[in-house]
This record gives sequence, structure tokens and C-alpha cells, in this order.
Amino acid sequence: MVGPTASLTPLARADGSASYHCPSTGSNILGSVNAPVELPGRRDALKPEDATVEVFVKTGTAPASVGERYVEGIIRGVVGRLILGRERGYARRGVVITLAIVGGESVGRADSHLTLLPALLHTALLALLSASVPLSMTFSATVLSVDASGKITREPSAEVAAAAKSIHVLAFTSKGHLLLNESEGAFDFDTWEKVRQRASAICHGTSTVGADGDIAMVEDADGQPLEGTIRETVEDQVHRDYAWKIDAA
Amino acid sequence: MASTAPSLTLPPSQFARLQPHAYLLAHLSPPASSNQPSIRANGRAPAQFRVTSANTGSLTHTNGSAVVRVGDTTAVCGVRAEILPTDDIASWSVSHTSSRTTNKRQKLANSDSEEQQEEEDPNDKSHIQDLNLLVPNLSLSTGCAPGFIPGAPPSALAQSLSHQILNLLHSTRLVRAEDLRVWYQPPSLGGESLERHNAEEQMDVDDEGTGKEDDGEKAEVKAFWVLYIDVMIVSLAGNPFDAAWAAVLAALRDTKLPKASWDVDNEIVVCSDKVSEARKLALRGLPVASSFGVFEADAAAGWRAVIVPDAEEERLIEEGARKGIQRRWVLADPDGYEEGLSQERACVVVDKKQGKTVIVKMEKNGGWALDGQALKEVVEISARRWEEVKSILEQC
Repeated sequence: MVGPTASLTPLARADGSASYHCPSTGSNILGSVNAPVELPGRRDALKPEDATVEVFVKTGTAPASVGERYVEGIIRGVVGRLILGRERGYARRGVVITLAIVGGESVGRADSHLTLLPALLHTALLALLSASVPLSMTFSATVLSVDASGKITREPSAEVAAAAKSIHVLAFTSKGHLLLNESEGAFDFDTWEKVRQRASAICHGTSTVGADGDIAMVEDADGQPLEGTIRETVEDQVHRDYAWKIDAA
Repeated sequence: MASTAPSLTLPPSQFARLQPHAYLLAHLSPPASSNQPSIRANGRAPAQFRVTSANTGSLTHTNGSAVVRVGDTTAVCGVRAEILPTDDIASWSVSHTSSRTTNKRQKLANSDSEEQQEEEDPNDKSHIQDLNLLVPNLSLSTGCAPGFIPGAPPSALAQSLSHQILNLLHSTRLVRAEDLRVWYQPPSLGGESLERHNAEEQMDVDDEGTGKEDDGEKAEVKAFWVLYIDVMIVSLAGNPFDAAWAAVLAALRDTKLPKASWDVDNEIVVCSDKVSEARKLALRGLPVASSFGVFEADAAAGWRAVIVPDAEEERLIEEGARKGIQRRWVLADPDGYEEGLSQERACVVVDKKQGKTVIVKMEKNGGWALDGQALKEVVEISARRWEEVKSILEQC
């Protein structure tokens, strides 16, 4: 299975940015983060000691619709919980995340954006990391579809998703908590348990706790765990950014 | 006249405003010595929903309407049906075959068996979704709560609630496309069918069995009903989605469509104004939404940097053995006060088919308290809630 590709800081003017391409769902997202910024519309009476997180999602090929407001709410819920909005310089200010869907299947008026959601979440996370916004944890997300025979497909294409009985988006924090679950379509709880296990394996690998308490990430049929992919993307970028220093040493 | 000494204690209502988190926490974890049960500030048990009532048919100008009240959250829903002639659909003649293969409506009319419910109609999804036959809209700009200014453009919350309702209508396939089609059966020009023509029956009577194929005339769809489903949240005290969805469900159950037929001479759709000929929608199942909020004893859980425990370690702590700031409560049907104090939300939509619970939608967001076991309990509570809502909707 071909893993996703991502690059950090493709945009020069934003505080942080990331582009993300997932070959299996075909989604291609460009995201930027500006933080901390002064928000003109902010009311100080509302949570004065915390930062306001704003998320904007722009569609690429389809006309804008209310579906994006819904996705924005989901993304705000996820990253809003991880951003440390009370760090110095962040209180009473804003973190503005803008995500543009650059390519991939267009989403119709009533379609759920579930197949796009992991790519949007990953882009938001990488852009936040690129902007050096303080986060309590990182996360990784995946989308799984279950067809009528109970077969679970990882990151389904638009056709597979349309034929599926249920679609599930799950996100796990870097410490293994279930951070987000969005499931739609008819299913029972046992199916969901299986989906959760599979998603956990995709995001974290089938982890084995070593004797010293370290968790080793093991590659399995799903290839490299997503958590590792994200980590490596950031590591590569840091390596490139500090090349001058490393070379000098 | 002796002046009374100024009181040094705060009335509970002021304490609730000044220290909302501590106030709710004090209710949920009373000191062991006081022998009081753990109840919420609004007097409910953690898994208890607010008193729910429903009333249908209140609006006379709609095809179906309902008022649903969940505690102090009130949603009014009206369903209005309009005709969409297929001539007005630009791509109709090229993209759709409108011939009918089986006489489905008769089967639908006289049977409501489970087998019937499972029946798949390949055109069903595409017609309702492609032609946008269901148009829900939710309005919060009614002065329902202080935060929402009347007459303002739809807020992000109103837009995402509208989208959630539309999405749920599609994913549960609640409304049958067959109910929304207006058929026309052209009379065959044989002598026998001419009699039928005189009897003015040609519009809606299906030829029994194979008769249709013999005539060589195919019934065709001449128009669709479009259902405009408008929800007004009249009063908002937390948890708007449950109330709105229950109102949509009750209104659709109440919806009656007049008998419509195609007038060949005038080339228009004509509706009968006889109430006896109007028919109700045959809905698929009864999906019921239940929302939950998670209240965490640790007020700093949302922003403390370093001490989030590992999931593996955390799983070892039994729920009953959680102490101090580790404690958390899953609150069913949170009211406005509790919603402001819980970051993590969950919403489960369940239906029951032949006694088995089917989850139609399950979402949780904004935290990490709900996982495997806790989510299972949430689904069980939702299944119990389904029975409750079913009896309420059946009474109204």
C-alpha cells in the first residue's frame, strides 16, 4: 500500500503550512496556519484566558456548501483540544487554520466529507507543527469502510466508499487515546470494535511494549504506521532546516 | 430599626455563575459523609434524559408538522411538499430511465413487513440525493438563546446542524423515493383499456402482473415531490440536535401527500383535494438520536501540557477506582449549562430492527475519555432512549 506524502512549509508568507497527498483516497490538501494573531471579532468576555481556534475549509472543485461548516466544527474540536491555548502569547489571540482542497474527488452537496477528513486533519496537524504552535500531543487519523460482507477497506476510494455499508473515521493521539470517531451507515458495536482495532494498527502499528516501557512501532501488512509517517515528515524537515548547523559541526 | 448583618454566604445561583465547574463537580461528587447520591446540578442522574414531549399536526399550512420539546429546548418542524416536474430537470431524459419494473406502490401500500423494509431500490438513493428531493434547513436566528441574534445570518452551528440532518436523512434512507414519485400510466389504445380510461382509473391503477408488458405501454415518472423540511429552534437550552432530529422524525411521520396524477391534456400534475385519498409516507425505521457530554473533574484537563497519561496505563485504572481529578462523568442530554463545561461530545443515532440494536451514526469528538467500554455503555443508554422516544412519538 502506498503511503501518503506530505511536505512542510510550502508557503512562504504564512506562519506555518503543509501540503498533503493521500494516493488511495486521491485527496490533495494545502493548509496554512497563522498563529498567534489578533482576531478582530473576538469578544474578550468569552474565555479570556484561552486562545480561539478558527478553522476554514475551502473546496476545490465543488461549490461551497454547508457541509464545510460541519467539517470545520469537527476539525476545531480535534485540534482545539490539543492546542495549548494558554501558553504565553496565545491567550486572547487566535489560531487560524485554513485548509484548501486542491485536488481529488469533488464532494457533492449532501455527501459527508468523511473520506477527506483524515487528510484534512493531517494537513492541519502538520501545518500547526510547521507554525510551532504548542500542542499537548500529536495524532494520526484514518478512514475505513465496511462493505455488506463485513470486509474492511483502508482509505477507500470514492467508488468504494459509495458502495460501502458504513464508513468510519478514527483518530488516535500519539499516546493511544481515541480522539475522534465519526461513523455513519448501519453497523453494530462488534463491527465497530473490529474497525477500531484495525484503525489502531494502521495509526500505531501493532505495538509491543518493551521491557523498559518503550513502545516499539512494528510494521505489518498495513505498511508503516501513520504516526511514524508524520513523525518522519517533520524530522526530515527539521533535518533540512538545520543542515547548515549539522554540516558545520 | 436594626439593620441585618450582610450575609457572607452565596446563594447557589450565584455560586453557579461564578464557579460553574466547581458547582457541577460539587453536585456530582458529594462528600462521602453527606450520604447524598451523585446527581447533576439540574437534578438528573448522569444517564437520565430530560422530559420529552411531542405534538404533531400543529401547523395547518404544512403537509406535516411537529413540535418537540426536550426540557427547555424546543424545536418546531414543518414539512412542505412541492412538485418538481421531470420536464424541469435538465438532465432527466438522458440520465434516468423512468420506467417501472414492478408495481411497487401496491406492494408498499398493503404490506409493511420487515422483508419489505429491506428491499433495495437502486434508483432510491440516486433520485433522492441527485435531485435533492429532501431539503432540510434549521434556523437558530429566532432569539432562542442570548448568543444568537434574531435576524442574523445562519451561524456556523445552524449550518452544520442542517448538514447533519440532511446527511442523516440520506444515510438512514428514511424516506422512500417511491413515495415521492408521481407516476403516469399511458392508456393503451386497445378496446379493453379504453373502458378503463372511461372509468378514470388509468392514472394510478397498475396492471396486475404481466398486463403492463402486454400493452407495451410503460408507466413513467412525470414528477417528484420535493420535501422542504424546515426546523426552527424556538428555545435553545443545550443539545439542539436531538430535539431537531426528533422534530424532523415526528413531522415526517405526520406528513401526508395528496394524491397527484398527470393530466395529459393540460400537461400538468393535478392533485386531489380529498383528504381520504392523501397518503402518509412509509418511513424506513425510526432512528433516534441521543447526545452526551463528558464532564471532567480536572478543570485543567483541556490545557495542561505534560501529564496526559498513556492510553495503555489509563486502561488499567478501573472506572470505579478513579479518584480525584481522574474522575469523569458521561452526562446524557446535556443542558446549556453542562454543554459549556464539557469539551468532549458524543452523539449516537440508533435504530432497532427485530429487537437488534443497529447503530446508524456514532460520533465522538473533543476529548479522549470515551473509548471502547465507555462507548459501549453510551450505545446501551441510547438503545434504552430509543424505546422511550418511540413510545412518545407513537402517542402523539
